[in-house]
Amino acid sequence: MMDHRQYRSAIMADPHDADPDLLAHRGSCAECRAFTEQLLRFEARLERALRVDIPTKAVVLPFARKGAQETRRWMAMAASLLLALVIAGGVWLTLPQRSLAAAVVAHMADEPYAWQLTDVPVPDAELNAVLEDSKLRLKPDAGVVSYARSCNFRGHKVPHLVVQTQSGPVTVMVLVHEAVRKSMQFDEHGYRGTIVPVPGHGSIAVLMRDASSRSGEVERIAARVDDSIVWTR
Amino acid sequence: MNDEVGGNQRRARFQALCQSLRPDLLRFAFWLSRDRALAEDVVQESMLRAWKARDSLLDETAAKPWLLTIIRREYARTFERKRLPTVSVDELVAKEEPMLAAAEEQNINDVRAALMKLPDEYREPLVLQVLMGYSTAEIARELELSGPAVLTRLYRARQQLRAACGEDLSLDPQE
Repeated sequence: MMDHRQYRSAIMADPHDADPDLLAHRGSCAECRAFTEQLLRFEARLERALRVDIPTKAVVLPFARKGAQETRRWMAMAASLLLALVIAGGVWLTLPQRSLAAAVVAHMADEPYAWQLTDVPVPDAELNAVLEDSKLRLKPDAGVVSYARSCNFRGHKVPHLVVQTQSGPVTVMVLVHEAVRKSMQFDEHGYRGTIVPVPGHGSIAVLMRDASSRSGEVERIAARVDDSIVWTR
Repeated sequence: MNDEVGGNQRRARFQALCQSLRPDLLRFAFWLSRDRALAEDVVQESMLRAWKARDSLLDETAAKPWLLTIIRREYARTFERKRLPTVSVDELVAKEEPMLAAAEEQNINDVRAALMKLPDEYREPLVLQVLMGYSTAEIARELELSGPAVLTRLYRARQQLRAACGEDLSLDPQE
């Protein structure tokens, strides 16, 4: 049976909560009903206060400003870029793993919140949805996964996970579409990481944000992550 | 040729989507930053990022939460790129006076002034709940918090706001 304190605490967190227990308590308690009415009056003020006036203005996005002059400029740029790409492509092909590491590091900048130090695990359903896309699951001893998203990475959806370890949060990207010949280490822009091949399943990238972490730490974690993955196809 | 027509249609559709959501996005960014100019910059930059990442929006009905997430990240990036000057809350209130004073009633302005002074950790879930209509579970997912942590923050947000606005707290639960 809900008491006054429980009711008022719950209704202060969400005045529109229609939980049956809350409704039943309100129906039987005049004082809590008065409290709710007082709170809902304040809620109406709050809603109006948050709805600040926004000056009416058309959205003008730079990608929408098109014109013949701009088109010509883009064509000229495209021709220059094509030449540059031909040259850069040669370099790219000779350094595929380095490019992959750079792309992984670049991806980190898009999701700074992922690195939050927390012991709150991602709900199982959310984690499983992310992993199922890549036909894998994690063993229960994989550790606390505090972040799980399906991210666009080089044209494919890949699982981007953050696992909380004793050494702090560690990012894991499962790169099913990125086969590498051998393990490689990188240390760029404050990230220390490794990309390890997973025969038949592409590769796994593991990164730590603390570039001062102990030597070999990332590699040890990567090996543990690799062991925790169960491929379902 | 067909690609160009398709591209133009896509741009126009995206533009219309941004236009329809702009008021809510700006309000959200404003309450995040408490600075109208910064809010406009963040929203503009976010829309560009959204356009570049448009392929990751699989369902257009989910555009609003998708854009709100981009705005939160873009706002966080603002702090990573440059250290914003520290400004006192009173200065912020004074600076945004034209926007805050738009309400005719004084009691709305009181709430706005109290919202400006509310700590970020309480203001953000409150804005998501009241202004954006997020459920507790959705706020938890967005802010990467547990459900109980979200409820605690929402409770404290209202407790502090009501106290700041001189509401009668005699019936409030005692902690």
